[in-house]
Amino acid sequence: MSQNVFEINAPGVDAERLVAEIRAAVERKTAEGVYADARIARAERLNLARLRDTDEFLNFYLQCLRDATCVDISDFSIRERRRFFGPALVALKKVIWSLLKFYTFRLWSQQNQVNGLLVTAVEGLDQKYAAKLRELERRVQAMEAAAGVPAPAAQQPAADGQAGEGA
Amino acid sequence: MSRAGRLAFIAPRFSETGTIGGAETLLKQLAEHAAAAGRSVTFLTTCAQDHFSWANTLPPGRRRCGPLDVHFFPVDTDRDVSAFLRVQAQIDRGAPISPPDEETWIQNSVNSRALCAHLRAHGGDYDRILAGPYLFGVTYNASRVWPEKTLLVPCLHDEPFAYLGIMRGLFDRVAGCLFNAEPERELARRLYAFPDSKSAVVGMGLEPFEADPAVFARRRGLTQPYVIYSGRRETLKGTPLLCDYLLAFRERTGRDLKLVLTGSGPVEAPPALLPHLLDVGFVSEQGKHEAMAGAVAFVHPSVNESFGIVLLEAWLAGTPGLVHAGSAVLCWQCRQANGGLWFRHYPDFEEGLLRLLDDPALRRALGAAGRRYVQTAYAWPAVEKRLFDALDSL
Repeated sequence: MSQNVFEINAPGVDAERLVAEIRAAVERKTAEGVYADARIARAERLNLARLRDTDEFLNFYLQCLRDATCVDISDFSIRERRRFFGPALVALKKVIWSLLKFYTFRLWSQQNQVNGLLVTAVEGLDQKYAAKLRELERRVQAMEAAAGVPAPAAQQPAADGQAGEGA
Repeated sequence: MSRAGRLAFIAPRFSETGTIGGAETLLKQLAEHAAAAGRSVTFLTTCAQDHFSWANTLPPGRRRCGPLDVHFFPVDTDRDVSAFLRVQAQIDRGAPISPPDEETWIQNSVNSRALCAHLRAHGGDYDRILAGPYLFGVTYNASRVWPEKTLLVPCLHDEPFAYLGIMRGLFDRVAGCLFNAEPERELARRLYAFPDSKSAVVGMGLEPFEADPAVFARRRGLTQPYVIYSGRRETLKGTPLLCDYLLAFRERTGRDLKLVLTGSGPVEAPPALLPHLLDVGFVSEQGKHEAMAGAVAFVHPSVNESFGIVLLEAWLAGTPGLVHAGSAVLCWQCRQANGGLWFRHYPDFEEGLLRLLDDPALRRALGAAGRRYVQTAYAWPAVEKRLFDALDSL
């Protein structure tokens, strides 16, 4: 059965062009740092398996992780919104914070170390396997050239769902 | 071309009243339309209704259900569930599975020896046997009885089960396949070298409807814009991802956009999203269509789809789609219809949703294009023609 049955070619709107525009805008904004945001790194936690074919985005995601790895443990200004007893409450909070600071500082600085080590390890693994793959691809190409196998056509991006999961 | 006048449909479950499972609904609807067109249709199914326990809750026997002659057979109760689950866990992990383990898995899946015995005794009475979906023991074993007259309705996904050796055997032996969408046929071509000459893309028809876009918001007291998802809520369907994305969208853009969910299953949403999430559970078809009609977009975050029925319904309601690019089928439908956008990751999602929110004319144009697409490609007369052509020629 022909695929034409399902082609409608609705006038006035072109989804393919719209998505291309959106992707161009995303690329530009990514370069401007608009998406360097730990909230995006958190939101993508369930989508990572799907991003493995999008090298560019994986690099961006690692950048998000780097941005998110450090918990802010520096001092902050203590404020109080309630009008009554405001100054007294601020003073009380400052006392509590000064009592807790030594403990939380120690705890979070250790957590930051662990986070930093984990991100470094992930990046290291990514680089190691990328280098390994490049080397394997180079060897395959060399062997194919030696065997007279014609070079394959350029691959379509796999991000639109054609990538197999494998089993 | 000889007319296939006597048909048997096989599905693991059959609902006499409501709907159960997308694949079962598809097979039931195709059977009903074949019967309405004057073909003799018998529906063979099991006594089970629950897809977790597979308990035989319906009485076995033969009953008339509308235009269909339905035979209910008991599910085998002696299956080794622990062996099934052990191999299934290995398949899920992507571990290599030996041929004996694959056989153990399928033979301890949902099976009915009584159904196969009926087929052996009466299979000669049918010109064509349509069975699906592909990963159930009932389908697998039924296809062995009369492979030369069996047409598979696989509802095939790109998932670990599809890569099992026994599935290649299943696709090799049947007389043909009825696919729901072109990407599903492409997947079968890639995995099993399934020839186009033995297959057809049929899909399922939808009845057009009219829905007032203001009714749902008025009834629920919603004053803010909302996006909607309808269907089962589970990780495989992508609903937790949708919740995470919507929370990030709200926090990053400051837009007060709500999320409406219809359907079944627990919602795994971050606590910060809960005040902005409206879970209406099961609603009537009319209620679902009204909810869809008022939405900024129908978001389909699933990557495991062989046919996006709810996306087609959203288009009939005039609402554009916003789908995960990881689903080849949903993407294909959006491309063919010009009825929606697709996202690879959060930045695509944010940018696409902002466009839809800020441009009502674009929303209307995409929704209208989607509606035209469904009314043309998925109107019942068009689907019936594809179905009957396939039945009579494959």
